[in-house]
Amino acid sequence: MKHIGLHGRGGQGVVVAGEILAQCYFDSGKYVQFMPSYGAERRGSPSHSYIRVDDSEIYQRYPIESEDIAVIFSLSIIDTAKLKENGILIANSANLKVKEKKVEIYIVDANAIALSLNLGSPAIPIINTTILGAYCKVTNDFSFDTLASAIKSKIDKKADLNIQGAKLAYDSVRCL
Amino acid sequence: MKKVLGGNDAVSQAVSVCDVEVISAYPITPQTSIIEKIADLIYAKQMNAQFIKVESEHSAMAACIGASIAGSRTFTATSSQGLLLMHEVLHWASGARLPIVLANANRAIAPGWNIWAEATDSLSQRDTGWIQFYAANSQEVFDFIIMSFAVAERSLFPAMVCLDGFLLTHTKEPVEILDHDAVKPLLPKSNRDTLDPKNPKAYGALAFPKDYYAIKKQQHLDMLKVFDIFDNVALEFKKISNRDYRAVDVYPTHISDYSIVALGTLSQTARLAVDNLRKEGIDVNLVKINMFRPFPVKQLKELLSDKKLIVVFDRDISHGKGGIVKDEIAGGLDLCNVVGFVGGLGGDTITESDIVSCFLDAKNGQIKGLFL
Repeated sequence: MKHIGLHGRGGQGVVVAGEILAQCYFDSGKYVQFMPSYGAERRGSPSHSYIRVDDSEIYQRYPIESEDIAVIFSLSIIDTAKLKENGILIANSANLKVKEKKVEIYIVDANAIALSLNLGSPAIPIINTTILGAYCKVTNDFSFDTLASAIKSKIDKKADLNIQGAKLAYDSVRCL
Repeated sequence: MKKVLGGNDAVSQAVSVCDVEVISAYPITPQTSIIEKIADLIYAKQMNAQFIKVESEHSAMAACIGASIAGSRTFTATSSQGLLLMHEVLHWASGARLPIVLANANRAIAPGWNIWAEATDSLSQRDTGWIQFYAANSQEVFDFIIMSFAVAERSLFPAMVCLDGFLLTHTKEPVEILDHDAVKPLLPKSNRDTLDPKNPKAYGALAFPKDYYAIKKQQHLDMLKVFDIFDNVALEFKKISNRDYRAVDVYPTHISDYSIVALGTLSQTARLAVDNLRKEGIDVNLVKINMFRPFPVKQLKELLSDKKLIVVFDRDISHGKGGIVKDEIAGGLDLCNVVGFVGGLGGDTITESDIVSCFLDAKNGQIKGLFL
């Protein structure tokens, strides 16, 4: 079973990103379980989405304990990820610097891409669909077309711009 | 068709294919997205129903009672404090024999203020005369809502479908949905006795002791008929869905030395615990209660009377007694080999390894206490 955690702040679109990601795996023939974390929801507070993916029905009914893949929307809450050793980390960052690597790290400047397409505001760019483009490229778990159609099914407004953002991230994500 | 749906999505999707005519509800976390979605569907004219906005859950149920007396197919949804505020009129709905369907998002009761999963809210309403179903996944939520309308209208009792807050209400997973045409044969227009302005009647009149006693006795005897009504509805439902439901499920086999009993999402995690214990060579099965009221004594006796030990897991508590489900099993079945654990209150995590270690403690006669 694959465990995925998405970590960001309220307003960045972490919950919708989780729904889109779950839809992508479902459309690829997998069993999925998507669990958003809920607490005192407000803009700027930490927000998380958790996804389990498997080839058979999923019975676990409790929060994910450790993640194979962590997607970090905001480096300020990177500590909340429960990434396994040798896991994959995908971060929204222009130029992350690390001294020592225990995990595979990929970065994409999702903020810049989202802002160039007017997704969200300069204070809180909405990077959910953009960062999923990077996720799609890094994991190769589903095609970009699968991602594009999942975005279309979940985003009412600016779906095309969101897909464009995902494509830019797909093309620009890089391994550290 | 399969869709990725949360428990709340499954409720509103199911309500939208059942020709529901009146919905009255008041928002409360984690139920709110049920009625938001229904309101959207009505606004978009995808549901031909009236949504009555009210100022409290007590009024929501009162509005449902009025609409149901007038003959409408009626639905509401609530949770925790909201369900408790309805308490008085829950009795009224069942006493007046009104087939209202209610979805309850199981949530802990304040104080402390807590919005997460716990079944004490609905289990503490077990004596209100409502049929109660407990769903373990979004598929069961969808199916139980549809079956509830059929069971309620055939038995003339209101029915409550309970789904754990967040663990089910907001957790999305694949659900096979049925459309309006598929469901229609299960839900013919009811010809029950309803309010008719041409033939005025009084409702809720004074009942002297002998009449009142006769009414309440009949209510109980009729409630016991719900078992057969549910079996018939489940049979018809299987024809349209190919999904098989019973009041009590058993996994993977009914023959075993030991049983673990649970309801709601706890039964899903308990299923993994049963798998793990069986791999260790321990002959244990899972007994999962789908219908809690009427309490399926006969079915549970058949499944549990020959066990060496029965271990019940409750995500609820009756203070000064313990787990409510455990108490019902031990008392209702007159068994003394029942051990209960209480855990996961207020949405706290319970994993399969928690269940395995509690079960082993009980099996080895080394119980450390009531709590996980």
